[in-house]
Amino acid sequence: MKLRTLTSMKLGAALAAAMTVTAVPASATECIAPSNPGGGWDFTCRTIGRVLGELGLVEGNVQVTNMAGGVGAVAFAMVAAERPADEDLIVATSTVGVTQMAQGRYPAPLETMRYLAMLGADVGVIAVDNDSPIMTLADLTAAMAADPSALVTGGSSGAGGWDHIRLLMVADATGTEDLSAIRWVQFDGGTDAVTQMMGGQIAVVSTDMGEIAGFVESGDIRVLAALSDEPIPAFPDIPTAISQGVDVTGYNWRGLYTGGQVSDEAYNAWVERLETLYNSDNWQEAATSAGLVPIWRGGAEFEAFVRDQAAIMEQISRDIGVIQ
Amino acid sequence: MEVLSLIGSGFLVALTPLNIGLLLMGCFVGTLLGALPGLGPVNGVAVLIPLTFAFGFDPTSSLILLCAVYFGCMYGGRISSILLNIPGDEPAIMTTLDGYPMAVQGQAANALAISGVASFVGATIAVIGLSLFAPVLARAAIHFGPADYFALYILAFATIGGIAGVDPRKTLLSALIGLMLATVGIDPISGVPRYTMDNFHLYDGIQPIVALVGLFAISEILLLLEKSAKDRPKAIKVDRWMPQWSAIWPTRWAMLRGSGVGFVAGVLPGAGASLGSFMAYVFEKQKSNGKGTFGKGDPRGVAAPESGNNAAAGGALIPMLSLGVPGSGTTAVLLAMLISLNVQPGPLLFERQPDLVWGLVASLYLANIALLILNLPMIGIFTRLMMTPTWALMPVVAAVTFVGVYGISNSIFDLELMVFFGIIGYIMRKLDISLVPLVLGLLLGGDMERALRRAMSISDGDWSILIASPISITLYVLTVGFLALSVWLAVRDHKQTQAERLTEG
Amino acid sequence: MTGTSVRLFGAAVFAIAALYTLQADTYQITFGDVLGPSVFPIIVGIPMMILSASLVVFPTGTVDWPGRDRLWRQAAALAVFIGYVLVMEQVGFPIATAALIALVGIIMGGPPWHAVALGVVFGPGLWALFDQVLGLPLDFLGDLFG
Repeated sequence: MKLRTLTSMKLGAALAAAMTVTAVPASATECIAPSNPGGGWDFTCRTIGRVLGELGLVEGNVQVTNMAGGVGAVAFAMVAAERPADEDLIVATSTVGVTQMAQGRYPAPLETMRYLAMLGADVGVIAVDNDSPIMTLADLTAAMAADPSALVTGGSSGAGGWDHIRLLMVADATGTEDLSAIRWVQFDGGTDAVTQMMGGQIAVVSTDMGEIAGFVESGDIRVLAALSDEPIPAFPDIPTAISQGVDVTGYNWRGLYTGGQVSDEAYNAWVERLETLYNSDNWQEAATSAGLVPIWRGGAEFEAFVRDQAAIMEQISRDIGVIQ
Repeated sequence: MEVLSLIGSGFLVALTPLNIGLLLMGCFVGTLLGALPGLGPVNGVAVLIPLTFAFGFDPTSSLILLCAVYFGCMYGGRISSILLNIPGDEPAIMTTLDGYPMAVQGQAANALAISGVASFVGATIAVIGLSLFAPVLARAAIHFGPADYFALYILAFATIGGIAGVDPRKTLLSALIGLMLATVGIDPISGVPRYTMDNFHLYDGIQPIVALVGLFAISEILLLLEKSAKDRPKAIKVDRWMPQWSAIWPTRWAMLRGSGVGFVAGVLPGAGASLGSFMAYVFEKQKSNGKGTFGKGDPRGVAAPESGNNAAAGGALIPMLSLGVPGSGTTAVLLAMLISLNVQPGPLLFERQPDLVWGLVASLYLANIALLILNLPMIGIFTRLMMTPTWALMPVVAAVTFVGVYGISNSIFDLELMVFFGIIGYIMRKLDISLVPLVLGLLLGGDMERALRRAMSISDGDWSILIASPISITLYVLTVGFLALSVWLAVRDHKQTQAERLTEG
Repeated sequence: MTGTSVRLFGAAVFAIAALYTLQADTYQITFGDVLGPSVFPIIVGIPMMILSASLVVFPTGTVDWPGRDRLWRQAAALAVFIGYVLVMEQVGFPIATAALIALVGIIMGGPPWHAVALGVVFGPGLWALFDQVLGLPLDFLGDLFG
């Protein structure tokens, strides 16, 4: 009896020893997507992770972790508290995240992190169903100015989030007095908002182009305006808001941050790696086919850009009444 | 007949050696992941995504592998529900209600066989629905607005009182506790943290899988410890190793009804497999519980929810593929993978990538057959698991649940929460309060609240929107009818027992 | 007395539900969300209070709590679970899991040596299954040794 137990113990020990030898280090680089799978941040992490691996810029695979909650606040809090100096960690963020920071919705200020780079941007669009009587941006803004509560609008952010603010910026620029009277409905993603609009639940969607491009191509929805300086390359026929006399742009750039105590050396190495990635065909192709416009800002330039944008966003939020 | 030729072309895609190999591997891994408590389809699929990148499979092969894992998980979840009274994943909770009692009565082989065949029937019906009507159904599902979803959840929770236990108040209270727990975390609409006690681990809310394994697995061990080792049966007796056809055949209508209900729930984005299996069980019980055998090991109580959750899993692929809207956590992961492989699901997918869609459909038919063939012979092996003495089986099960939860979240806090839920689960079971409604409340509560708040945002605060659409009115009428029927049946049974008592006395 | 446990449970849930409902009222926002974050918790909290109060007044069912020696075993098992959670990151996954399986096995009345052997096999075994086969990274040695 005892002998048998001893044997099995020895076996176990041998097994354990064998494993220590073969144990590979758990993949070193990790990208946190602060959302559930499927959204823009998830795309950022998965695509960047894949391309980093393809180009051999990191060892092994990049492990993508989904840490949803509070529009990025959960991941932000976790990195601030537990992994501020982790040099193998990158986290996806975007205009949406900076909007939240500017409105004080994250548990720590913007400066808690170091911002690495932006690699592309999605363009905001305002769309209606193809059966809608609203034919142009002017129709929409006139209707909103006449009765702000008449139309139900929606998108993928909560009240006061980036999708909402972009729409309010358009309304603000075209003479709508009571911005808070515009009805806004939050959905879990741009696609959800569009399908609910096709089902007749809401009248107008404000969200990013990338996620809903399929519905534009299929003719299910009509895009009234692209909130970009130049027409979107893939959809040259869609007029910009500027070309219709409404001076509003609303990009949603995609970028990455890392912990605030990461060394300059590691920070610079990341910026360099991401620039190589940005210039690769792999990234350019993946970004364009996902509806992004590739744009590069990295290192100190990007840090300054994020700060400026947060300041602007805070001002807009205050003007519109999202924060006091 | 166009569909037939499309499916035919799909089989040409599916029947390459690589795809068949991936399919079989996916089925096997999926069944294993589903059977391990703590790991479900969501993480099962997520775990395998890096693998598809590493080997550079094309999108079609990747999707075939991951969907096979997905379907495999849905088959596998039932195994520990039936044998251990611990659901392998969320959609398998309903299977504990009658599956475990069947196992205790020595009917483990039959319960596994019925649930296996039911899984096959449900999933196959869903795949047939997917191949014939996907675009049409997706177009119909978009007419379901926030107010209609709210009505659907009201129907679910109003009927919850009937699922288990003697005292409907306790069942309802359990559901409300679940709904309460679902509100913990940062509110996605307003960004306000609620009930987080300033602990950032709670910002993301309470993960249903953590509550699920804590409530069922830890409490099961505490319950077993009540009995001294010699009182406790060494292992559950097993009357037979192999299932009997005569036990399976009578549940055929329950399987078909369950498949129908589950499929509808699956097609609606946001309802998902858990709601599918729950509704399938409730409707089957209402229809067939003439002799009060449900909850005590009625085979139909195993067949309905298992066909329901598998049909819902298949149905959830419809909005994912043809609208790009994920109907459940797992389809959200599948969607993410497709997007990162440069495939954009949506209204044009069927036209632009017929190879991918029809190759997937064909593989799903094959996966179902493979899973049925794989699962039936395994019944004998799994049933022998019941012979393992409790002192050896349960500690390993506990370890598996701890590892499963930790391996996904890497969070010690989640493990602490799991032990805490174990204590709650033990107390509730001692007080004869069913745990199933709590888990359902936690799973569906967030969506229920968001549906209500979206409806109110649309109407600008006018509550009448909740009963403004034909769909929601129909659902409320169903709810009232259901409740009235339950009350009537309860009164009738009460009179009957009284009458019997009188004649006996 | 029958029903005491149910009454106690009802009272505890009532207290939690009352706190929950009161707390809900503090979640106010100023902009753009019609119903706000406070209404749904109130919709859940009030029926919870009613139902739990009704359990206090009209309890149903009888509860058969285990004897003192059994309670000790349950407490020991819980202590093992909590200890496992606390030391797991320090001593690493296989060792902690081996100890967990062995100790719970013994508490459940298994022959001690068999329980230990089971732990020694399954501790590293589960680590291998999750870390090596499924690719969910788990610490092998932990902070103390690693």
